[in-house]
Amino acid sequence: MFHAHRSLALTGSKHNAGWDAVQISPGDDVAVALRDLTGTARIRRGEEVFELQLREPISLGHKIALADLAAGAEIHKYGAPIGRLTQAAAKGAHIHVHNLVSQRAQKRSGKG
Amino acid sequence: MAERTFLGFPRRSGPAGTRNHLLVLAINGLIAATAERVAGALPFAKLVATPYGRGQFGPDKECHFRQLVGLGASPNNGGVLILGVDRKSADDLATAIAARTTVPVEIVTLDDTHEDALELAARAIRLGASLSRKISSDRRMPVPLSDLYIGLECGHSDASSGLASNPLAGALADRLVDAGGAAVIGETIEWLGAEHALRTRGADPETGEAVVRAVARREASVSAAGVDLLGNNPGQENIRGGLSTIEEKSLGAIAKAGTHPITALLPFAEPPKRPGLHLMDGPSFSPESMTGFVASGTQMILFTTGPGNSYCSLLAPTVKISANPGAIAQIRNQVDFDASAIFEGRETLDAVADRLLQEMIDYASGTLTWGEVVGEGGECFTRIGASL
Repeated sequence: MFHAHRSLALTGSKHNAGWDAVQISPGDDVAVALRDLTGTARIRRGEEVFELQLREPISLGHKIALADLAAGAEIHKYGAPIGRLTQAAAKGAHIHVHNLVSQRAQKRSGKG
Repeated sequence: MAERTFLGFPRRSGPAGTRNHLLVLAINGLIAATAERVAGALPFAKLVATPYGRGQFGPDKECHFRQLVGLGASPNNGGVLILGVDRKSADDLATAIAARTTVPVEIVTLDDTHEDALELAARAIRLGASLSRKISSDRRMPVPLSDLYIGLECGHSDASSGLASNPLAGALADRLVDAGGAAVIGETIEWLGAEHALRTRGADPETGEAVVRAVARREASVSAAGVDLLGNNPGQENIRGGLSTIEEKSLGAIAKAGTHPITALLPFAEPPKRPGLHLMDGPSFSPESMTGFVASGTQMILFTTGPGNSYCSLLAPTVKISANPGAIAQIRNQVDFDASAIFEGRETLDAVADRLLQEMIDYASGTLTWGEVVGEGGECFTRIGASL
């Protein structure tokens, strides 16, 4: 359900000192960094917070792989598909335009 | 609970205004410069001058006319001064505007001045001055919040938009609809990838299907042109902010639609027939999208951004929201409402939305937005076909 993320990420506690990235919907393949991150990220998933070793620095707002993901895998955020991986990405890697492509509005092959 | 109100300018027919502009509406590109001289001589006037006005036909002509009528009939206008070239098209427009509003409408055209633009300017300034003085005696009064119809726009989104600002805009829309008001989101291409969520939101099955068809039409027109949407949307500033694909951007964008059913899918610049949440089938560039909202009758716009975006509507006060803590610190004189407490988990969405509704009521009642204070504001006409 699309609006499920409201009850998770957005109805937070008094203070956010406990986490610096958030998995928006259950089952999402990625978390979103809430600040510029290096080293270990503390990821909030529902009511739990767990640590994840980052493969590379992740900027505020950018996405972190929550598991080892295979090339071609459909990636989910907000509980919905947001694209497909063009190459494998390890847990803790940056997921962005270098390894994720839209599955919509692709250019027609050849001119008609 | 007592009915909630704002201090608005009541109109004899239709909803109240949040502002009481004298609109100088120049309806033909030939006199756009003359219109600037006229508006320049009238310090309380707002100028909308189309660069077009001839050589349009079919749906494009109808769409342009609908935008002119809608901007003229905005509840935020206390009076309208139409500047035209030929008398007939000016009269036709005035008639269409008068069908939607009872505020005074005056007309001057080049037909009336033997093609003398200086004479047109002189007459227009006198007429405009009288209108300006007359409408200055209009007074704000408490009017029901259900009069309010707001446009929900996002521009320069980043990941904080989808996580905080857009859900906040949605929660605000929910509150306004609960109060009997109306809200609209547009930018059809930014529903792409979120159709599954929107399809089930229609007040009736046909509305949901109409939304899906509207997205498919835009998607087809993009691929038919041989264009790869990826190079265009998300834009560079979206990508810098962490958004990778149109699906990801769309899923964040439609959070602006809140949780209520979609009452109807509106054609571009068309007024809603009922209160409630609406979608408008329109372009995604904010100046065009927002002009569609204002022409459909929105008296305010709630504009969410990540890193910032200075653009505002000319006729509808535009309230800027960001949840990006760095941006808010950087552009203090642009962001009207700080939503970073949601992004950082310091406050709940509902608590912040209640606070935002109260601030929206203040802006509706006359408090100036940063955009108004610094003189931002434009209206931008959309074309949907080539000229003859």
